[in-house]
Amino acid sequence: MGSRIETLNAGGYRSDGRRQLELRDFIIDLPTVSSSNADGSAVVSHGLTTVMASVFGPREARLRSLTLHDRAVVNVEVGITPFSSGERRRRGRGDKYILELAAAIKATFEPVIQIHLYPRSQIDIYVQVLEQDGGMLQASINATTLALINAGVPMSDYVAAITCGVFSTQPLLDLTSLEESDVPHLTLAVMPKTGKVTLVTMETRLHVDRFEELVRLALLASKVLHAEMRTAIRAHTGELIRAMGGSRLSRVPDREDAPGDDDQDEAMADA
Amino acid sequence: MASSSQLSQSKIDPSVFQRLHPRAYLERFLSEGIRPDGRDPGAWRGVSVNVGSISTAEGSALVRVGDTTIVCGVKAEIAEPELDRPEHGFLVPNIDLPAMCSPRFKPGPPGEEAQVLSDRLNNVLISLEVLSTASLCIHPGKAVWVLYVDATCLNYDGNAFDATLLAMIAALKNTKLPMAKFNEETGRTTCSHSSSVPLDIRHLPLSASFGIFDSSHILADPASFEEPLLDAFITVILNEDGALNSIAQSGLATVGEKSSEEVVAGCVAEAKKRCADTRKCI
Repeated sequence: MGSRIETLNAGGYRSDGRRQLELRDFIIDLPTVSSSNADGSAVVSHGLTTVMASVFGPREARLRSLTLHDRAVVNVEVGITPFSSGERRRRGRGDKYILELAAAIKATFEPVIQIHLYPRSQIDIYVQVLEQDGGMLQASINATTLALINAGVPMSDYVAAITCGVFSTQPLLDLTSLEESDVPHLTLAVMPKTGKVTLVTMETRLHVDRFEELVRLALLASKVLHAEMRTAIRAHTGELIRAMGGSRLSRVPDREDAPGDDDQDEAMADA
Repeated sequence: MASSSQLSQSKIDPSVFQRLHPRAYLERFLSEGIRPDGRDPGAWRGVSVNVGSISTAEGSALVRVGDTTIVCGVKAEIAEPELDRPEHGFLVPNIDLPAMCSPRFKPGPPGEEAQVLSDRLNNVLISLEVLSTASLCIHPGKAVWVLYVDATCLNYDGNAFDATLLAMIAALKNTKLPMAKFNEETGRTTCSHSSSVPLDIRHLPLSASFGIFDSSHILADPASFEEPLLDAFITVILNEDGALNSIAQSGLATVGEKSSEEVVAGCVAEAKKRCADTRKCI
């Protein structure tokens, strides 16, 4: 009989030593040198889950027949490396799980990206999962947000995603793969400034009484993630400005309530 | 930028000229003895290797050769050996070139380039006996290790072969397998959680690739802009003791007055220096 791991012990600690509502280490890596073919990219880690997102576009569509006359088409492709999970699993491009993930990401970002600015164009988002330890959709959405901003694609707001679950009656945030297989959980993607939710996915059975509390906690968590993302983007943009010789502007002012606070790299460069 | 004394009357933007006339663009640079990315024709790009960053893999490596970025992970599984080779395990290398690494690659099933690369790497790793497959045996005829060496290109800027071979070798060197014991009665293999053993790596082959442009210039470590313009390719693979393992040439390798034998010999000499340098990274 193997030893079992407690999801949440009597002292309030989870199997990886975190408290109930504690998030994993959130590490953001934005490329300082534009060494890739992509227009924007970002590598995001939540604990041991690492995802890289690359954005190409807006660019000329590959097939004229797939374009729309009044807006850009958003394409999402997800790849999961075979060595990313505990058990090696080679998923083909047409794998249903991957297609579902891609469809979820596309549905999350289509209303947020200002696609009406780019008719007859295509915006390609490529997501590559390098390491999995729960929260794959969460990390993919966060990485995609940062890659889109890095590429200078205009959006209405950041999108921050988080997983949350319930262990008996106790809510948990940012679940690892062990916890995901153990407790009912859902993934929520939120636009932090307005609190509008762009995605909720839940595949396990959750009691309806618990749902409201989870959404409330997820909104709080998304604000925390949003703050981290903003800090990373500002630091990155500041470095770009310094590198372009604008040393007086290197300290990017932090105006929380400024209208049109889009953090676009190009916009800052023009300043 | 090369002098444009032969250019037509209208002024043309360099980046537009590069898109419209890539061959002429490259010729202009090479006639001045320099390449579009600033390198000398015989110069190599910098290499950086980072091992062990993927926690879910038994071994992993992230390699950058210039801007070409490859991540490679090694996963081990247990399987029954082949009937005619009961004491040998398996090594299964694979390279994936997804659409994210370059606009050249379209989304969908693996293209020709990825398949050719996978095949070449498979030949190198198996025929050069990088790893003794006999060392992967747990119990003859019953249980052997299967090592899946999966590489994914995250950014493509030419010469994926050199970068991927380096990534696979570095990942294999980083790999540790758990101690495994086969139970004759139950027919099952148990692995230890605590003790692990590094692989029995016999050889560490590294490669150096060259391209020949217009039968007049030898370009070391071709970048993605140069690659489609090259007429011939030469890849030299050397061992850790400098011994020559393989030379692969596709296309006619004559350069100016030199015969193809002289050209290949020159490349081998250059490859020796390059591989010695690269070896310091792993």
